[in-house]
Formats: sequence, structure tokens, C-alpha cells
Amino acid sequence: MAASMKCAWARCLSTILLNSTKHRCQISQPLYASCSNISGDSGEGGTDQTRQEAGPADDTKKHRRDPGKAFTDVRVQKILLRLTGLDLDKVYEYRAAKGAGVAKVALMSDQQLKKVYESASYKALRKLQMPPVLGAREPIDEVLSEDPELEGLNTSKLVFIDISQRVPLKKRTIVVREPNGTLRKASWEERDVTLQKYFPQSGRKIGLPRMFQQDNLECMLDDGKHEYILNRACSQFEIDDPEYIRVTQRTYEHIDGNGKFEDLRSTRHFGPMIFYFTYYKKIDKLLVAFLEEESLEDSLDLVKLYHIVHPSCKSAEKVASMPDATPLEIIRAFAEMDATQKSLVQQAIQTYEKECDSTGSTQLRR
Amino acid sequence: MALAIRFALFGCTNRPFFHIVVMEKRRAQRSGKIKEMIGSYDPMPNQDNQKLVAVDFQKLQQWLGFGAVPTKHVAELLGLGGFYPIHPMSYIKAKRKRTLMEKQVADMQAKEETQETAAIQVNEDTQPDSTEDASQ
Repeated sequence: MAASMKCAWARCLSTILLNSTKHRCQISQPLYASCSNISGDSGEGGTDQTRQEAGPADDTKKHRRDPGKAFTDVRVQKILLRLTGLDLDKVYEYRAAKGAGVAKVALMSDQQLKKVYESASYKALRKLQMPPVLGAREPIDEVLSEDPELEGLNTSKLVFIDISQRVPLKKRTIVVREPNGTLRKASWEERDVTLQKYFPQSGRKIGLPRMFQQDNLECMLDDGKHEYILNRACSQFEIDDPEYIRVTQRTYEHIDGNGKFEDLRSTRHFGPMIFYFTYYKKIDKLLVAFLEEESLEDSLDLVKLYHIVHPSCKSAEKVASMPDATPLEIIRAFAEMDATQKSLVQQAIQTYEKECDSTGSTQLRR
Repeated sequence: MALAIRFALFGCTNRPFFHIVVMEKRRAQRSGKIKEMIGSYDPMPNQDNQKLVAVDFQKLQQWLGFGAVPTKHVAELLGLGGFYPIHPMSYIKAKRKRTLMEKQVADMQAKEETQETAAIQVNEDTQPDSTEDASQ
């Protein structure tokens, strides 16, 4: 199959899969639900069909809303999946890793090839599962007992872990008896380290890998290893770990600074990155990049996503009052009312229109 | 036939490590007659100044139901962990250590004071005669 045909086939397939009942976008919800149990949030699921205010991103800790609720919205998930795309060549790119096999060569009929492509696309959607974007976990501060009469018994802490079978990692009891006699629940950092010692997960190190220290992280970002950093962060940290959030957010900011959004296209990190920019209202450069690529679909999707995540913004209200608006009008409304770098976005829209006029086509194209 | 939940000392010279096991109370710990291992206790603190104790509490409760009895030291450890109430020996040991520490501190202070007074004495003795004449 020629390369262009293969791409078109993959795109076709991804739209079919998105609309099919067999493969729903519910991948992130159970994960979010289990996280919300431990972080003390109310046990809400993810399928919020009602228009829910996700909340503006505020610097003060108290008022910061949980991005997870917005992230697990089905509409948001659909858009993110659509934007991520499905480039089979990139998803199945050879990676030098343990267990990486040698490519097989086979002689097949067209029908057999079609079946292989279908199954490969289903498997690829699993590889494109997005690590959820959550708020930082609340610190654990529970004291179980105070026994000042035990002062002097030990000069070191005693860490107790329950190694009963078939208990989920997040629910394992870990307590610490301090030298001053206080018995308290272990903090998140202590938990992570102790669990890794007794129940090691592959790809994790005990303690912070040097790669994620600020200076080393900058070096790696300058080398352009965004996907590697994000993949390793995903395997090293829990997704609500403040360290994970710091590393991923720094990576996204670096990508934004250098405009290298396409590096993450058709990887599992593209969706979370788009969501991060949308939630914290920083989509201008991204929108400009999409418009420069001349993909109106993507630009429209991005603005629609913005309206879902921030339903009370001015352009959302305006668009709601214009039911027959064309894609360009919607994007223009956003640029006028809610873009932080107005001139940049408006210029990009103008350039896009000129390109369209010159090539004589105003239809949606990728 | 006394089924106990006890420590079994493993590790090597100058490096103790205890397995928390269910076995006969009076048997040799390395005789190989351990019924089940239900945890571990590392008495040497690690880099973060922690002593790690792992216990399979489900199994522990099952064996307690069977009639296994924890030894003194295991009971103390479980008391510190919050599974049992704190063992009286923990309070007693803590008190003894505190008294010892206080005594050591008091001894050191007394020693320092005597040293200071001795130094002052020496200074007075070695002062030149001229000043003595001046003070008179």
C-alpha cells in the first residue's frame, strides 16, 4: 500500500473507531476514580454530560480546581483523541528496548492486509491511552496516636508496611513511629519509596532520578527529548505526584516556547499537552501552529475544546448565540475575545485565509 | 507444642536481619522448620534513618486465630506499629534510656564545671606578683 493511501486508511479507521460502540473513550475514567479515592475528593466518576465549570487556573492552592474533572469529560476526551491522530508508522516506530522484536515480513492478500491493519489500529489505540491530567495530591497529615512517653526508645523512625496479599498499592497501610513517640501515616514521598522497595514496579527508581532534577531536565529539553522525558515521567511517578506535574508542565512549556508541538503528535502525551494549554488558557501558539499547518479541523477542535473547558468565557457565549457560524468565524471570535496574544492569532487567521484564497479552496482540509 | 510468632535471625556477621515467622517457640531458628514467614524487621537504620518493618497482617491474624502467640519482642514491635497496645516494656525501656541520657548529660555538665573552676584556679595561681601588690 502506498504511504498516502495508508495514512488515509488510518485516518478513516480512527474516525470509525471513535464512533463505534465497541471502542469507547473510557480509558482514563477508572484510573481517575481510583486516584480520587486516595486524594480525598468526592468519588465522582468522569461522565459529566452537563456543562460543568472546570474553573480557572488560580495560583492560590485553596481555590485551584481539579483539572481531572474536566479531563475525563467525554467530549474533551473525544476531541483530544481526534487531535492526537493515529500515525501507525509513528506508533509502531522501532524503539530499542527490552523485548523489542524483529519486524516480520509476510506475503498477504488484500483482505488479510486489511484485517492486519484493523487489529494494528485497535492495538495502537491502546498505546495512545492518555495519562490523565490531575491536580497535585493533597499531603497526608494524619496522626494516629501521640505517645510522648516513648521518647528516647529509638533514635530512628520505625516504618511499618502491610504486605498482605491482593491489596491495591494505593490502599496499602504504611505508618511511621517517630522517635518522639508519634504514630502517623506515612507521607506520599515515604509511601512511594517504601512501596517501590517491597513491591517494585519496573521502570521506577527509588528516589528522584537525576534526569528530573531541574538542571539536568533543562539539558534534556534542549536536546529535544520531550517524548522520552514524558514517557519516563509516566513510568517513574504517580500522575498526581507534584513532581510528575512539575516535569510534564515544564516539558509542555518548553515545547510551547520552541513551537515543537508536532513532536508529540500521535503519541499518548499529545492529548494531555493540549489539555494543559487549554486548561491554563495558553492555546495561542498552538492555535497559530495549527493554522500555519492549514488544518482548519484541528484549529476548530482546539477552540471547541476551550469552550468546553471554559464555558463561561466570552467567545463561548458569543458562539452559542451564533448557531450557524462557520469554523473561521468561531476561531475569529475566540481570537477577538479570549486570545492572550490577539495580534499573533489574528495574523495567523489572515495568513490562512490568504493561502485558502490563493489555492482557491475554502473547504475543511487537513 | 508452643506455636509462636517470633523473630528468626538471618543476615550475617555485624549485619542482623530478622524474619518474622510462625514456628515452634523453642526450636532453633535456622533449623528449617519454619511454618510460615509473615514479615521482616531490619534493625539497622537506612539512609533516611528508618528501620523497616513489613508484616502480612492478614496472615498474622489468621495465625493468631490458630493459637500462635507472639514473643515479647514481636509483641513490642507490633505495639509500636499500632497493631497491639504499646507493650509495658517499651515504656520501661524508654524511661531507662531517658534516665541514662539525663545522667550522662548531668555528668558531662558537672565535668565541664569542674574543668572551668580548675582553669580559673590555675589562672589565679599564675598571675604575676605586681598585680597582687597593686590590689593590696
